[in-house]
Amino acid sequence: MATPSIAPLDLGALHRLKLTEPPVWLAPTAELSDAAREASRQLFSFLKSHTPKSPLDQLLVEGFDAEQIWQQIDLLSQPLLYGLKREVKKFEKNPDEIGKIRKVLEGERKDFEREKEINELEQYLEEDEAREYGLKKDVINDKKKVRRKLGVFGEGDEDDGDMDQLGTARKLQSEIEKMEKANMDQKAWTMQGEVTAAQRPKNSALEVDLDFQHNVRPAPVITEEFTTSLEEMIKKRILEGQFDDAQKIFTLPSKAPRELNELDENKSKKGLAEVYEEEFVQKTNPAAAPLLFSDEQKKEASMLFKKLCLKLDALSHFHFTPKPVIEDMSIQMNVPALAMEEIAPIAVSDAAMLAPEEVFSSKGDVKEETELTQADRKRRRANKKRKFKAKAAERSAKRAQDNTSLNHNDVQELYYTKMIGRIEELPKNYGNQARKKVRVTLITSYRFRIVEKFW
Amino acid sequence: MQSKESMEIEAVQSQSQNESGSLPSKPNFEPLKAHEMSDGRVQFRKVSVPPHRYTPLKKVWMDIYTPIYDQMKIDIRMNLKGRKVELKTRADTPDISNLQKCADFVHAFMLGFDVVDAVALLRLDELYVESFEIKDVKTLRGEHLSRAIGRLSGKGGKTKFAIENATKTRIVIADTKIHILGSFSNIKIARDSLCSLILGSPAGKVYSKLRAVTARLAERF
Repeated sequence: MATPSIAPLDLGALHRLKLTEPPVWLAPTAELSDAAREASRQLFSFLKSHTPKSPLDQLLVEGFDAEQIWQQIDLLSQPLLYGLKREVKKFEKNPDEIGKIRKVLEGERKDFEREKEINELEQYLEEDEAREYGLKKDVINDKKKVRRKLGVFGEGDEDDGDMDQLGTARKLQSEIEKMEKANMDQKAWTMQGEVTAAQRPKNSALEVDLDFQHNVRPAPVITEEFTTSLEEMIKKRILEGQFDDAQKIFTLPSKAPRELNELDENKSKKGLAEVYEEEFVQKTNPAAAPLLFSDEQKKEASMLFKKLCLKLDALSHFHFTPKPVIEDMSIQMNVPALAMEEIAPIAVSDAAMLAPEEVFSSKGDVKEETELTQADRKRRRANKKRKFKAKAAERSAKRAQDNTSLNHNDVQELYYTKMIGRIEELPKNYGNQARKKVRVTLITSYRFRIVEKFW
Repeated sequence: MQSKESMEIEAVQSQSQNESGSLPSKPNFEPLKAHEMSDGRVQFRKVSVPPHRYTPLKKVWMDIYTPIYDQMKIDIRMNLKGRKVELKTRADTPDISNLQKCADFVHAFMLGFDVVDAVALLRLDELYVESFEIKDVKTLRGEHLSRAIGRLSGKGGKTKFAIENATKTRIVIADTKIHILGSFSNIKIARDSLCSLILGSPAGKVYSKLRAVTARLAERF
């Protein structure tokens, strides 16, 4: 336990610090700070002998501020702490050694007491510095603990220099091993790159602060101001009675849909010369070019649309003048004598129309079914019977004639005459053309029938 | 002789100037006839007939003969011994280029075009025949080659006809040889689509491209 290198502790400065009354510390004084510096320098040089590897020979105090001085003390205390930890572990393994130490400690009780004093003084000193420079208390406490440990186990550390060197080598080795292991081991999932939910532990993503880009626009942050502004807007709208929503503006397509020109997959019937000729004609004189199929369709569609428009105009337009229809010149007899202004639209108005009796003219009274008397009904039935009888007689006569004459010419003659008779029966309003047509169709159909019979 | 003539002309000019003081009327030269241009020499063209076109030629001989003889005023005959169609200018041939046109027409028929299509060569100036082979586009062998030819023609010639109608050309696919008849720009479009078919693109894709191209062409006017 002999420590020949220990410098004799000059406790003057520490004593002076110790004797200072606590209220004096409240005001920064140059004298006190000098004393504190001196004391810490003394303590440093005292502890320096325990850590031979420390880069600093002594505490540099002149012209340094508190932080710098603390750094220097840190440099000294860190290796000391490691050494002490190691020692404690060693003692845990074989507790017999503690006994030895205890003896030594008892032998050096005086020293220990002194040490205690030093600790106390140091505490004062630190508090002083804390007051002076506003250092945080917990940091100071940490440092204090270090100092205490130093006080207790300081002597056990420097048994011999060889042990110390061996220890550092081991420490280096262990550090290297640790680093190698860290390199070889599997990395944490956050460092693995792309990771799916199955590849990481449950809820692990909640614990880490992930920084990645979102593609979607973030949802608006709902703050109090935001909601109040919304509410205000709603209130304002209610007050104004304005409940309309923004109307969507539908834009009609300005261009017609593009025509999809179908490719003709059949062999063209036209020769190449004709194809080029058509192209040339279309280029030089588009009007003369033959209509395409789609053009014909367009024309028909436009015609239909025009018709529809005419009808719709007639319904909706008050003073609608229909398109003048040029017909044959005719004198209209049934025109009202006085042209009166009508309220109804012209298209709807029946001012220029015929009277019902002009439209439907019939002889005598026209009676409904329910209006007929019994006598009327009887007369009707008798008339019907008479007509039917006449028809039946005619039919039987025709059959008899057919049976008697199978001669072609005779039949034709007969048929002819009958046809003529029928044509005579045609309504009066049938024109000459119509009559001719009927005759022709009748004759042809008759001939066909004759031919059928012969076959 | 010549010098004497020129002297005479000069003399006439001086006389007229002296008389009225104005320039003489311009001489009006008739354009040279085709036979006069080459010193009265008759020009020939020969188009050889491949054996597989012998019978078709015999069948449509009158269709070929009439426009050439009547419209183009070119003499035409079939040399049976040499298996060649021979064309010759006449004294009344209006244009020397008619001979070449007729030769092109006959040649187009020999390549396999129909007479109604080939006649366009006589009627229009800006028509050409372009020929290429599949191996010029891509070296294909065996089944690949036959498939390529199949792609070109399509089922029942559908693809070929579609290209023909869209581009206003006529196409002949004779084994690995392809002949296109049409105007310069149209040939280009047809050739492009044929090439992409050879290179393996499906018919549908070629159709859609064709549609776009022809629509653009139609808008150009």
